[in-house]
Amino acid sequence: MSSVIEQIEQQIANLQAKTVQSNTGKIVTIADGVAKIDGLSQAMYNEMIEFPGGTIGIALNLEEDFVGVVILGESTHLKAGDEAKCTGQLLSVPVGKGLLGRVVDALGKPVDGKGPIESTETNPVEKIAPGIIERKSVDQPLATGIMAIDSMIPIGRGQRELIIGDRGTGKTTIAIDTIINQAKINDVGLASGDPDFRPVYSVYVAVGQKNSNIARTLGVLEAADALKYTILVVAGAADAAADQYLAPYSGVAMAEWFMSNGMDALIVYDDLSKHAAAYRQMSLVLKRPSGREAYPGDVFYLHSRLLERSARVNEDNGNGSITALPIIETLAGDLSAYIPTNVISITDGQIFLETDLFNQGIRPAVSVGLSVSRVGSAAQIKATKQVAGKIKLELAQFRELAAFAQFGSDLDAKTKAQLDRGARIVELFKQPAFNPLPIEEQVAVLWGIQNNYYDDIDVSKIVAAAGSIREFFTTRKEFLLVSIREKAKIDDELQAELKKAYDEWKPSFA
Amino acid sequence: MTRDKQIINYAKGLLKISLEDGQFSEERAAAVLQSLEKNPPRNYASVLKEYLKLVQREVANSTAAVEHAGEIGDSALEAIRSKFSAHYGRNISVTTSQNDSLIAGIRVRVGCDVYDSSVAGALKELEATLS
Repeated sequence: MSSVIEQIEQQIANLQAKTVQSNTGKIVTIADGVAKIDGLSQAMYNEMIEFPGGTIGIALNLEEDFVGVVILGESTHLKAGDEAKCTGQLLSVPVGKGLLGRVVDALGKPVDGKGPIESTETNPVEKIAPGIIERKSVDQPLATGIMAIDSMIPIGRGQRELIIGDRGTGKTTIAIDTIINQAKINDVGLASGDPDFRPVYSVYVAVGQKNSNIARTLGVLEAADALKYTILVVAGAADAAADQYLAPYSGVAMAEWFMSNGMDALIVYDDLSKHAAAYRQMSLVLKRPSGREAYPGDVFYLHSRLLERSARVNEDNGNGSITALPIIETLAGDLSAYIPTNVISITDGQIFLETDLFNQGIRPAVSVGLSVSRVGSAAQIKATKQVAGKIKLELAQFRELAAFAQFGSDLDAKTKAQLDRGARIVELFKQPAFNPLPIEEQVAVLWGIQNNYYDDIDVSKIVAAAGSIREFFTTRKEFLLVSIREKAKIDDELQAELKKAYDEWKPSFA
Repeated sequence: MTRDKQIINYAKGLLKISLEDGQFSEERAAAVLQSLEKNPPRNYASVLKEYLKLVQREVANSTAAVEHAGEIGDSALEAIRSKFSAHYGRNISVTTSQNDSLIAGIRVRVGCDVYDSSVAGALKELEATLS
């Protein structure tokens, strides 16, 4: 109470001869969340503009006679003739660990009803990406917990890996699985007390999604106890286009705090197709010239400047990283549309999900031929490389052969063997949603396929066999899993132990 | 509702010839209006409206509109005029109007810049700080 009185007394003392200068303008027109303002001669690009009632806007079009301002949030109380004021500040959002476990809007204000955010720091929403000198190469793995991805399309800390596919092919599920896996790894790592352990904090940015979907995602993260390491930035389908445009930048500003403070962050943009559509809407209302598919000319820059902020920085610049998993929704599997090609060219690889595979029950429906990771293999642990080095090639060959094998029944022994093996790998990679696997379990399972332990098991029983061997390892051979995790490679001793374990398990499953 | 670029450019041209040494001149503006009346251009009304808008903006940029609560002396107004003329690098004329809602103090507007040293403004800022 006394501090408030002191604050008021201080303010009154300051009242004496203080002159406040402000640059003002008047709303000429206001429609669709965009105000055209006469005046504001000193407005800067991206500056926050204040309207009556505390409403905030961003100056996006600086014209000779007018300033085009996009209003954030509710704008129905504003009318032509109202005064607008420059604030001299760029848009900023709260950052820090106080945001973990919270759901916030594009301006960083809480929307989860859990009270105010405990944060004293803010970061500007728009920031230049780290330069060449500040960066460090990607060489630490970021395990997704999805066997098909960790073995064939590995992701490293600081990488940008696009998740792309049609609607309903499991794009969000992969991203959520990855967040859950980070939480599981964090729990184990922090409990171990290892001083070198680096937890990964996640930021999930929902752009233009149905509120029911966002609620479901929140529920899944809560159920998996992953919310405590996660920040949810929400700009739903009912929010203004300006909020949807801003949300990814707000999310990355929050993730940058972790990166610049020596921590690792994972950010999911779900999804950038809707983000581009929101930006298109805003640009058309601002009367900016439109180009291909009515997107404005700078739609590439919209995504490149966002994704370039994901990086791994060196010791002099924070020694942290931001790994980005942008999501793009395609129409009828068309990868050559405008936004998909843009984002494919910006990112360091893509995970392409196919509707056909999804409908065949192959989930996650990762298309091996079209998916690639450009930098992640450098970050893969040696144990995974040892057991999964050839799997991608074998699976790609299987898909090709399977297509040809449909036309003839007479197959030579070698082709038949390849087909049999491929079918088993496909079965082995089937994994239920929200059930990420630790990397050591993945290695143990893949070691079996590499050493032909599944060859005499019927294809229809491979999923059960994989479940059985995982259970066998976790209940009876946990020391082996710990050994894989700690050594991160399979030496002769481990090789012998794994062989012994498989020989012991095989009769019990048969 | 789209404003024709040609009309805007025409009006800007008219404003240019209404200036004398970079300052708006009433004599020149009167001459411009006379000339326009004799030879009205296409979209005469629109041109005049646009010209009026530009003139208003130009006049506002050269005028310090002083709102005050209570009395304000001539010496204070002269000080305001000379300070703002020096600050903006052009001759600034001063207009005054009484505004009791300011409670005490003055508020000066030059173009889109507002300088507020009134009690009402300070209270508003205090309210914003506390909320």
